[in-house]
Amino acid sequence: MGGYILRRLASIIVLLILISMVTFGLFSLLPTDPAALTCGKSCTPAIIEDNRERLGLDQPVPVQYWEFVKGIFVGRTYGSGTAAFECEAPCLGYSFRRGEEVTKLLVDRFPVTAQLAIGAAILWLAIGVPAGILAARHRGRWIDKTATGLSLVAYSFPSFFLGYVLIFVFVIRLGWLPSPAYVAPTQDFGEFLQLMILPWLTMALLYAGFYTRLTRTQMLETMGEDYIRTARAKGLPERVVQRHGLRAGLTPLLTAFGIDLAGLLAGAVIAETVFSLPGIGRLAIDSVSDSDLPVITGTVLAAAGLILVANLVVDLLYGVVDPRVRLT
Amino acid sequence: MRRPTLGWRAAGLVAAGALVLTACGGGGTTDEPGQEPEEGAAGEPVTGGTLKLLSQQEQILHLDPQRNYTGEDLALASAYLSRTLTQYPYTTDVEEANTPVADLATDTGTPNDDATEWQFTLKDGVRWEDGSDVTCEDVKYGVSRTFATDVITDGPTYAISMLDIPTDDEGSSQYKGPYTGEGQELYDEAVTCDGNTITFRLNRSVPDFNYTVTLQSFAPVKESEDTGEQYDDRVFSNGPYQIEDYTPGQQLILVRNEEYDPETDDIRGSYPDRIEYTFAVDPNVLDQRMQADAAEDQTAITPDSVLTASLATVFNDPQFEDRRYNEFDPYVRYIAINTSKVPNVLHRRAILAAADRAAILQLAGGEFAGDPADGTIKPNIGQDYAPTGLWEELLGQEIPLEGDPEYAKQLIEESGEPMPRLTYDYATSPDADRGAVALQEALARADIQVRLNPIEAGSYYGVVLNENQQNELSLAGWGPDWPNASTIIPELFGTQGGFNLSRYNNPEFEERVAEALAEQDRAAQAALWQELNAFTMEEALVLPTRFGREQRLHGSKVGGAYIWSPYGSWPYGQLYVME
Repeated sequence: MGGYILRRLASIIVLLILISMVTFGLFSLLPTDPAALTCGKSCTPAIIEDNRERLGLDQPVPVQYWEFVKGIFVGRTYGSGTAAFECEAPCLGYSFRRGEEVTKLLVDRFPVTAQLAIGAAILWLAIGVPAGILAARHRGRWIDKTATGLSLVAYSFPSFFLGYVLIFVFVIRLGWLPSPAYVAPTQDFGEFLQLMILPWLTMALLYAGFYTRLTRTQMLETMGEDYIRTARAKGLPERVVQRHGLRAGLTPLLTAFGIDLAGLLAGAVIAETVFSLPGIGRLAIDSVSDSDLPVITGTVLAAAGLILVANLVVDLLYGVVDPRVRLT
Repeated sequence: MRRPTLGWRAAGLVAAGALVLTACGGGGTTDEPGQEPEEGAAGEPVTGGTLKLLSQQEQILHLDPQRNYTGEDLALASAYLSRTLTQYPYTTDVEEANTPVADLATDTGTPNDDATEWQFTLKDGVRWEDGSDVTCEDVKYGVSRTFATDVITDGPTYAISMLDIPTDDEGSSQYKGPYTGEGQELYDEAVTCDGNTITFRLNRSVPDFNYTVTLQSFAPVKESEDTGEQYDDRVFSNGPYQIEDYTPGQQLILVRNEEYDPETDDIRGSYPDRIEYTFAVDPNVLDQRMQADAAEDQTAITPDSVLTASLATVFNDPQFEDRRYNEFDPYVRYIAINTSKVPNVLHRRAILAAADRAAILQLAGGEFAGDPADGTIKPNIGQDYAPTGLWEELLGQEIPLEGDPEYAKQLIEESGEPMPRLTYDYATSPDADRGAVALQEALARADIQVRLNPIEAGSYYGVVLNENQQNELSLAGWGPDWPNASTIIPELFGTQGGFNLSRYNNPEFEERVAEALAEQDRAAQAALWQELNAFTMEEALVLPTRFGREQRLHGSKVGGAYIWSPYGSWPYGQLYVME
């Protein structure tokens, strides 16, 4: 097991290095000129060239990349004279568009995305899995039809549409909830809950639909297995039989959950945008439209890292959930 | 300045460009250029309460005074945080609003005989938020930061172009700003302090320098509080408010600056106790919230425009009558004609004659997008504007809004030369794409072939400002930095202008511009600008497409609101919250 984890961690590091290289390389191929973007309105070719130098973009891409990697381990100094400042390790760069260190931006924004993703995940599991189990237990009956029908509706809604509908109804029309904004739970937990309930619901309803269907399918498939038939033949109570079935059906659920949660942790772009949540997803989108290379690289690496680690955790959990799985 | 920001967020996010001269005020739907503004939706100002600002933008583009160069941001910063030597008063009277009055200074400055030297004396009793006095040295230091072009980006560079400091062979100033100190002695000669009196020595006559110093780039900065690049996040205030919290992407909270003495300030009302600016509000949600005017949004105001999809509702429903505005925005939109590639004036006139301006305007949004333009000076600037007669006579005959392709063909024939093949550079967007096709089709009717060259919005100006990359036609927009065409005509058509996309180089014209710039009689100067505006149109240096407009809403309990002419913004310094 220890060897397996070490090998996977090593592969994660290699992948992150490759991803960072590809991001750098792709960015250098884009037609957008970051030096022109930070040039200001009194822009002249001379100022653009000065900016290129200031941003380090006058260096060959491999040199820029090396400076970036060095910054992660030993930090970097930006600017000169009395305006110089340190970006301490792990320095993922400095956004001249935002006047912020990328590491700080990510650290500030990650908790918002995590709160959104984890809250939504708890809700969708709480809704989707029981609904799927119920539907499977009552296959073909009205409960099954209702659950699968509703799940299809929920899954079909685009999240931005659902988000807008919830805001227009519960905030603007009825005035039951405050206007979208972000308040940290440490600042005012009550307001935090009031502000997060709609984004959580928006994400959860979408995913709950999928998880209802997935759970139902897995349960039905497992309940048709030979060992379940054997268990029933031996006279085990149906409750115990279903518990066996659920456990075996959990593996694909776990896979989907790991990937979905990691994807959301890497940035729930639409929910963050519609609900004015300053998370990683919105940061990524804004940095792309601003051609803010340091932030793009930082968010891509953070997202990739999260997904890779989540995959590792899921793989490790397989062994716990399903004793038949052996990690070597 | 300056040109409108391009890109998907352009609508209300970052209207790059400072001065913005908006003719009409007051809630209403039928504002016409030159119409006197009505009173805002206001009674007697009320002190106290919390004013809310909502915006789809992620943050204030720049709060650092020397980097602040966006109309709305300039208006906000000058009202709340950062006073300047002179500033514009809050009034709905356009002419009065466009005339600077003393702010940090005791008066609007004293020039020498040829306006190459200006003196301002600072008032006593103006203090920073730590209680220390705002001194002449603080103003001098603040202005010096503009020269640090490696740190202080995005701001106006008038200090560099106007102060009498020598340049090197490449045309860059020999003073490199306070962070390196290189060339400091040169700056110390150009800007001097004698007690509370600051003197600016200029490299040319600038009769309207007291307008120039209304810009935040001439605001003081306390050296001990300067954090260079990062000063943007925590501006040290000398205005009526100070920053309690600034989290880009979330909020800016302003609270009263206890050291501020209203006795030193004849301009600002500073009525609310607290100002809460919420960023990154989704555009659709923001639009709906402003229309719904629910309890918590009644004290809210937004600098963002009403979404296009909502315009018909907002401007047809009487419930919005007292809180809607349809005003000129800061900009003239135009298509620059590169004279180095289209040197024949008859060819340029043919382009103007053939263009279907009605289609271009319609595709940009119709009546809400703006009014047909006849030059690069907009009516809301005041005395510098006069109709140029471009579409009535300057092209040789009257040209209808739909264009006159037959007359365009005639002009080409008269030129005796074939029309060069044209390429049209424009920053791509759905509206611009459609407009480009309309231009292409209209010119084709006059047998003028146009190739379209859509350019990604973020790099657009970087490309077209490069002489080697710019083609024959380039889409552009421009707003003046202060209410004087000295920030339009020389910038757009002078060889020293920063935005001469027409690549115009005419020594005789340069002399006339220099004469206008040096003219100290304002009325005489206005007459010269009017002549030069007409001349540039006669030369067909640009195809002016529209005098832009924008539409806004505010909450029903916000008082003192109107579109303030100097920055085309809300009059932040006199907004209040009604009971």
